[in-house]
This record gives sequence, C-alpha cells and structure tokens, in this order.
Amino acid sequence: MDEKIQSVAIIGAGVMGASIAGHIASAGFPVLLLDLVKAGTADRNAMAKTAIDRLETAQPSPLMSQRAARLITPGNIEDDLWRLAEYDWILEAVTEQLSVKKPLYDRIAKVRKPGSIVSSNTSTIPLSYLLLDVPSTLKPDFLITHFFNPPRYMRLLELVVSAHTRLEAVFRISEFCDVALGKTVIHCKDTPGFIANRIGAYWLQTAAAFALHYGLRVEEADKIMGRPFGFPSTGIFGLMDLVGLDITTQVNDSLARLLPPVDAFHEVNRELPIIRNLIAGGYLGKKGTGGFYRTRETSSGQLTETLCLTAASAGDLEWRPISAPQHLRILESGQDIKDLLDAESVYSKFAWAVLGRLLAYSASLIGEISSDIATVDEAMRFGYAWAYGPFELIDRLGGAYVRKRLADLTLPVPKILVDVGEGKFYKENNGTVLYFGLDGTYHPIIRPPGVLLLQDLKLGKIPVLTNRSASVWDVGDGVLCFELHSPMNALDEDTLDLLEQAIGLVSKGHVAMVIYAEDLRASPGHENFSVGANLGLAMFAANIRMWPKIEQLVAKGQRIYQLVRAAPFPVIGAPAGRALGGGCEMLLHCTAVQAHAESYIGLVEAGVGLVPAWGGCAQLLARWQSDNKMPHGPMPAVTRAFQIISTAKISRSAEEARDQKFLQEHDGITMNRHRVLNDAKAHALRLAPNYEPPSPSQPLQLPGRSGWISLTMAVEDFRKKGIATAHDVTVLNHLARVLTGGDANLIEPVAQSAILDLEHQTFMELIRLKETQSRIKHVLDTGKPLRN
Amino acid sequence: MTNVVIAGFVRSPFTPAGKGSLARVRPDEMAADVVRALIERTQINPEDVEDVIAGCAFPEAEQGLNVGRLIGLLADLPIAVAGATVNRFCGSSMYSIHMAAGAIKMGAGEAFVVVGVESMSRVPMGGYNPLPSPRLYAKNKAAYISMGETAENVAKRWRITRSAQEEFAVGSHRKAATAQRQGKLRNEIVPINTSGGICSIDECIRSDTTLEALAGLKPAFDAAGVVTAGTSSPLTDGTAAVLVCSEDYAMRHGLAVSARIVSIAVAGCAPEIMGIGPVVAARKALARARLKAQSMDIVELNEAFSSQVLASIQDLDLDVTRVNLDGGAIALGHPLGASGARITGKAAQLLEREGGKYALATQCIGGGQGIATVLEAI
Repeated sequence: MDEKIQSVAIIGAGVMGASIAGHIASAGFPVLLLDLVKAGTADRNAMAKTAIDRLETAQPSPLMSQRAARLITPGNIEDDLWRLAEYDWILEAVTEQLSVKKPLYDRIAKVRKPGSIVSSNTSTIPLSYLLLDVPSTLKPDFLITHFFNPPRYMRLLELVVSAHTRLEAVFRISEFCDVALGKTVIHCKDTPGFIANRIGAYWLQTAAAFALHYGLRVEEADKIMGRPFGFPSTGIFGLMDLVGLDITTQVNDSLARLLPPVDAFHEVNRELPIIRNLIAGGYLGKKGTGGFYRTRETSSGQLTETLCLTAASAGDLEWRPISAPQHLRILESGQDIKDLLDAESVYSKFAWAVLGRLLAYSASLIGEISSDIATVDEAMRFGYAWAYGPFELIDRLGGAYVRKRLADLTLPVPKILVDVGEGKFYKENNGTVLYFGLDGTYHPIIRPPGVLLLQDLKLGKIPVLTNRSASVWDVGDGVLCFELHSPMNALDEDTLDLLEQAIGLVSKGHVAMVIYAEDLRASPGHENFSVGANLGLAMFAANIRMWPKIEQLVAKGQRIYQLVRAAPFPVIGAPAGRALGGGCEMLLHCTAVQAHAESYIGLVEAGVGLVPAWGGCAQLLARWQSDNKMPHGPMPAVTRAFQIISTAKISRSAEEARDQKFLQEHDGITMNRHRVLNDAKAHALRLAPNYEPPSPSQPLQLPGRSGWISLTMAVEDFRKKGIATAHDVTVLNHLARVLTGGDANLIEPVAQSAILDLEHQTFMELIRLKETQSRIKHVLDTGKPLRN
Repeated sequence: MTNVVIAGFVRSPFTPAGKGSLARVRPDEMAADVVRALIERTQINPEDVEDVIAGCAFPEAEQGLNVGRLIGLLADLPIAVAGATVNRFCGSSMYSIHMAAGAIKMGAGEAFVVVGVESMSRVPMGGYNPLPSPRLYAKNKAAYISMGETAENVAKRWRITRSAQEEFAVGSHRKAATAQRQGKLRNEIVPINTSGGICSIDECIRSDTTLEALAGLKPAFDAAGVVTAGTSSPLTDGTAAVLVCSEDYAMRHGLAVSARIVSIAVAGCAPEIMGIGPVVAARKALARARLKAQSMDIVELNEAFSSQVLASIQDLDLDVTRVNLDGGAIALGHPLGASGARITGKAAQLLEREGGKYALATQCIGGGQGIATVLEAI
C-alpha cells in the first residue's frame, strides 16, 4: 500500500508552477521548486527564489499566509535534480513544448524514488503525446494534473490517466488534490484541452468573433457575456486580459494544432488581428500595460478605458473611456434570460450567436471529452467560475427552446440534446439528483466519501425549524445544522430567535449543532457565512428614533451568543467566505470552528462607526489575555484587540485568521469547500461524548483610564498623520474605552459581563451620532465605506 | 583631583528594527558580546571593574529586570563586579557615563563598564504597558507627547524648512557612507553572531539617498507637517560600550586613553520642544568647563531629527562642519539607550583621530531634557 503524499517537488517556477507551489505550501506541505540556472547570475537558484519572492507580493495572494512561503525550498535542475528522490509527487510545469518536457521526463525517471507520482500540468497536450517514448518504468506512475489559474482560487483539477497508470497512483493523487489541496478533481478523457479549456477556448473565440461581427464595444460584450448567464463579470475580453493575451493565443494555437480538422473549434478560431496587434504593441492584458482594458492615472483619479475594437482591427490601438452600456437594463432586472435572448436587439443577436454555439458545441462533445454531462458542468463551474455549466444552462432555457433556436442558426442539434427530448438534463428523485446519461437513462450523482452538501440533504426533506432568515436541518447522527439563508446571511431578530429555539431543540435529544451557510454557486471570494448584523434594519430603526428597539436587539444578540457559548453540547461554527461583524462574533462564541480555508473573518464594526456589541470585544480580549506568549501586563492584549478591531482587519484566509485569534489552536481548517459541513459535523461528534460546557468567563485584568489615555494618544497621532478621520477618532476613542474596561482599576479584575455592558452602552452612544448613521447609509447605498 | 577618562569604545553594528540582521538577536546577549569585546580590546583586568552600568530607554522584557547585572553575568565578568540599569530615555547611556565619572570622582571605584542597549525590534518604543497618569495627562498633556510631534514643533518654532532638514539628512548619510567606505567605522564595531550569520556592518546607512528621493516622502507625523521618515532617525537595534576610568588607573595599567571628561550636565526644557534639549544642557556643561561652544573642535550632536539638530546648531552657534564628522543617527540609526555611549565614545575617538583640544557630545531626551558631556584631548 502506498503512503499518503507528504511532499511535492515542482519543476518550472513560472506563474503556474510557483503558484501551485504556493498553494501546496499553504496546505502545509513542503515543496521543492526547481527552475533553470539563469545565465550570468551568481545565485544558481535565482529563478526559483525570484518566483517565491513574487508569491509574497502578488495580488490576489497565491499564499494563504506569509508563513507558507517558508515551506518552499528553491533549487535548480542542474544541481538539485537528485533531490527529487526525496519527494512523493513530482509535478512538471515547464513550457508547453514536447521538446522541453520529454528530455526532462527521462532525467526525472533516473532519479526519482520508485512509486513516486510524476505528473504534468499541461493545459492542452494529450497524455498519449507525453507518454510516447517515456521510460517504461515511469508510465505506471505518470498522469496529467491540470490546475487552473490562479491555483489557490480555482477549484478545478483535471486529471487524465492512461491505460498504464496504476490505480493506486490515481487514488493517491485524487485524494491528495481533493482533501489536502481542496480541489474538485474530475477525470477527463485524454483529448486536447481536456474539458474546461476545450469549451472555454471555444466560448472566448466565438464571443470575440461575434462581438466584432456585431460591432459591439468591449464593455457591452462583457456585460452580456457575463452575469446574465452566470459567467463571471469579467466577461470574455476581461477574462482574456486576466489570463494574458499571450497565453490565450498559445492555448488556441495548441488546440488548433491538436484538434481534428472536423472540429467546430476551427470554424471560430479565425486569427483575430486585434489580438495580434495588441501583442505586437506589448499589450498582454492585466499583467502588462493593459489589453482590452487599461487603467490610466489622470488628474482626476484613475480612468478605466476600453479598446476600440473597430479601430484596433485596422491596426490602430485606441482606448476610450469606459461607458455604461445603454439599452441593457434588462441585464440588471434579473428577468428570465430568455427575455434577453428573444429581444429585438443587436445584443440579443450577439448573445444567442455565442450561447447557441457554445451549448451546441458542449453537447456535441459528450462522449468524446467526458462520458457524462455532470462532469462537464462541474468542470466549467470550477475551472471557469461559471455559476451554471452548459447543461444546467440548457435546463434553464429548456431543451425545446434551445433546439428551436439552434435551427435558427442552421446548426445541427447534437444527439444528446435530441435524446433528452422534453425532459431535463437534471432531475430529482427521492432525495437524489439524477443526470441524463449517454445511454438515455438517468443516473445518480455520486459524491465522494466525506462530501456532505446541504443542497443534497434538503432534497425531498423539510427543515426541523425555519423562518425567513434561517433554518435548522437534521444532518444525522444527532447533529442539527443551523443554516443561515437571509440575503448575504445578514443577521436579524429572526436569525437570533431561531438560534435560541435551535439551542433549546438540541438540548432535547440531539448531541451537537453546526452553524453553516451554503452558496455553492458563489465564485471564490464571494461567498458569505454572514456579513454581520442587518444594518438596513438598524438604520430603519435609527431613522425613526426607535432606540429601545435597537437596545433590545443588542441585548438579545448578547444573550443568545452567551447561550451558544454556554450550551450543554458542542456548537461548531463552519464558515466559508466572509464572516464579518456579528457573523464573526457568532464564531467567537462557538465551542470550536471548522473553517473553510477561504474564510475571511473580521470585526468590521468600526468601519460603520460602531463597536462590536454582541460580545466580540469581550471574547477577543479574553483570547489575547489568555495567551501565555504575550508580554506581561494589562496593555499588550488590549493593544492587540484594539489594533484588530480599530482597523476593521479582515483575515485573508482561515490560516491568517489564527493570527488575529478569530480562530484558535483547536479550530480546524478544511481545504475542500464541499467537505466543510462533513468535517464540522465530525468535529462536533468528536467533542460531543461527555461534553462539558466551558467554565464561566474569567474576569479580565484591564488598565482602565490610564490605558485609555495611551490608546487615545495613539489615535490622535493617527489623526495628525492623516490616517484617522474626525469620526474615526470618536469611534476609536469609544472602542478604547470598552477595551480598557471603562473605569477599571488595574488590581480589580473586570467581569466579562461588565465588558458586555460597556459594549452595549457604547454601541448605543455611537449609533445615535449622525456621522455613524451617515456611514451606515453610505455602506448600504454604495457597498463602500464612508471616510467621514 | 582625580580625572576621569574614556579608555575604550566599541559597539555593535546598528541595524534597522524589524528587518535588520540584529532583529532576531536578544539585546542582553548582544550587549554582553560587546562588553566582552571591550574588555578584550582594552585589555583591562576585569577584576578591576567596579560596576557595569547599563543605559536603556525601555528596560523591560529581554532588556528588563536589572539588565546591567545580567549583561555582566552573560559577559562572564567576575562575580564581584556589580551591575545597574539606568533610564534617562535617549540619554540613558550618556548619563551612565556621568554616573561612572561621579563615582570615580568620589573615589567609589576606578573603572566602570558603561553599556547602552536597545532592541527596538523586540521591545517597542513606549514599552509593552504604556499607562500614562490621568492626573498628569490632564495637567500637562505634553509630558507624553510623541517624539515626531516635538520635531514638528521645533521645525515650526525655529523655522527649519523641510528642504534644510533634507539637506542635512542627505549630508548625514553621505558622511556615514564615506566613513564606512573608508573603513573609519571598522575599529569600533564588534561583529555579532546571529542565526543568519555574522553581522559586522551598519545597515541603516543609505549611501544612495538624494534630495529628490527625500522630497518625495510623505510627512511621517503630521499630514500638514515638514518632518518625514527621511529626516528622522530610524528605529534601530544596537548596543555600545565605553570604558570609563580614572586617569591614574589608565596610566598605571597602560590603557589607551582617548579623552578626558571635563564637564557634564543635564537640564530640562518644555516637553513639546524636547529636541532643543542639547542647547540647555550644552550651555550648562560648557559654562562648567569655562569654554565656549566655538572652542569645540569636535561635536557629536545626536540626530534624533534633522529639525532639532539644526535648531540646536543654530542656538548654540556651532560650526556645522565640526558636527558629526562620520554621520549621525539619521544615517547610522538611533537605538535609544545605546546612542549616548556611542556619541560620547565617538567624540573621544574623533578627538584622537582628527586632533583638536575639545569635544562636545550632546543629546535631546524625550519628556523635555538635554544632556551634554565636554571632553578634552589627552
């Protein structure tokens, strides 16, 4: 039996190789990163070292914590190749040329240890090409592991294996990529571009060609080929800029070379002079000086411009200020996408010309690139961040509609689209989701062991408790799941009421509770565990001076979060995405947290002119004060809590949340989003037997007024430096008063209940201020903070 | 009457807090390494040392307890050698020299090791538990004023323009870089072993800085102000040690003496213009030595900020060409408790190197004070 993968060597420290190294190091595994020796440099590892340095500054960060970079060892393929013998998985991420890859495989074969896995991160080259003439000893351990860019954030991993590949190797790599790296691993057939790039490249080429054909502006095409269909808001031109025009061209060229002449890709893969002109002009997209979009500094601030497509086709690179597309209100209205496709406008013609071809092409590839539609949809969702895969889109439109509109384009209707008839590609039966197979019958979607999704659990079931903001589901084994589901999972009275009911319910016959939210269609970084208290309601109450109502909500939140903390059973918070303000405070009161690695946690109340008042100040203070590694005395813990809350610091990952003590040593991190609920449930069940609720909160040693002066002096310095605004000073001085314990005396420990009272009193003082109300209103209106 | 002399001066390299080579080194251990080198280089019999007096501005954590005693033990000084810690903020180690001098004059010992130490990486400025007195804060807020703000106040009141400050700062870096290049700093530096290798050179000096580069910096303490990070001394880690002994003792044991202490002084000034402290203190020390500022061949004036150095030069009517010949704290760095020992040791060293009769070493001190020492060539 092979051991689990514990270490990885990556050859090729380009953007992909280095970013994959960063992600594997973020998962806690040592990585050896090798590249060439750069001629003329004294440091033979300079190329790999530069790549690692770049990881620490790149945005969005490829690393989940700065610590991760220290797990990557730089080296070069001349001096360090022998070290590959120490690694369990050797991943090749060098340039997409067989002439470079093949000799490298021969060298790897000579030095690697028996049974180590060797894979290529090729994005388009079939495995059969890579395997030609490789040493026979390598073949059983060789496969393709295709990550998507950026590897930290794109969940897809395409796996391609050959008839020679050992099953054990496939199992080991799948498990590692799924559980340890958090990827959705899909098995692809060995065809050029595999699944996601095959369809994605076709989509981009088709859309670019028709945008030109219909004379659309860049921003118009992106607006249509974006959100309305569940594609990312970058659209097509924005995506090409993001990927890099050089890379886009390389992928197209590679597909053009490798795909059979009959493939429909060739029809849309006409060389676009625009892209050639941009590349020739040195415009490679976002990584360079711009591409279809560019941003310029002007006297009145940053100006975003888009390329004029008609002029660019003729060879003139000309950018114009971005304009809000006219006549596209339908896109914002959230109406049926068929309304957009059926409207009498050039936009509708463009939309169907692209979408129709995309859906037909995708459907025509079933059998060739994958034996089932569910895999294809999954690949596009996780590889291109589409909210819906092509077959889910067809279901949204209706098979009959698509068939009829394809006829309008005089395109043949693919067999599977004929076969599905009046039915849908997905349907539900007895609590199971079924997909339409090539054999014309429906098959259940089988989740890998350890994957537990609320969306599956809900099928055919009703919640144990429910209201507008939350529901409680029985997830088995005596565990109840408290699900947040208001808009953005903002917390209101309904949430709190149901939480109180749920606590009562678990006490009578269940063993534990998990607090969780699930929005699997949100693209990475856009999911919410909870954005915090519902500010709209608070603002409404403040506008009509219903102060007692607000007082009551503050008190209720404090009381119920204390119930969570003192519950006679474990309560596990299971965040993914943003857990802010009251959402963060909810986690701070849980017995433990099982967080998705991409959890962004913070007490952000100061940004809207308030202080955390559901126990956040008290909990964070207590955590810092109980840290034995902190310097002695009353101020260090107060200062740290003040720094974190006053700057509304949001962790950029679950790992980083440990640095702020939003997560503690005993809290767990789950890399795979689909495993969070299962891991949280398992965490709860581990703690449930003989569970003892935590002892009452320990009093805190706080400095009182002296400490308050110290913090207010620091705030005053920030004001002078121009970092803090006038209202910042007011808010932070109030916050300082809470965290230093009001009139506390150094030798008389302060009960945490007194801190809760201070939170409450301070919150009420601040929400009455018109400057705070202006901040709240501004955030509600614009989504951005007001600096008043 | 017994004369008191400076018979040895060494220091660690000065490196930027947080990111420099000494950031990961404990200050007490670094200070002990420097004391050991002082003993070795001066060849004094350690049995003769009366006391180790350690100056430190924030004597807590790794530079806390009675760090003077701990440094002596770490440096393997004989058990009978005592140890004390002195805090007068930035004037701590210069004042330690004064205390040693006073004791020698009293006949309470013949030889003293004075060491200044500060790790601004490992103990923050202000310490871990700043707890101002509410009563004093209500009465005199400026008692706790930030140093940057005092630099702005001095610039405003003495009309020191931003460009004048920048010109001075560039000059400081240029002088320090030249001294470093010409090896003039080598003899005073004790290499320190760190987990990343041996640290043997100063790391704060920016030999390539220019007026244009400094002009591009944002104000560091007041958005509408004129003091920037470029015209302030950087947060620094470092330690410096001086052997202070009676002239008789030095003669008897054949020690290499570089200067005699002629007079000393401390004086208070308004906390909000603490940077002007050298003026009040130097005037007192010069009067006690019956000398005029113009008689000073060498001046070491600690560069907390360009603005306060320029204001002090102006008020004392000093010849700027005699000030800080090898650069000052803006270029070299200012590990608070260590700077007094460095500039006093440096002034003595320069008297010997450059020739001349008298030298002045003087500093401003947070909270509103100055300190000064007048030296005479042997």
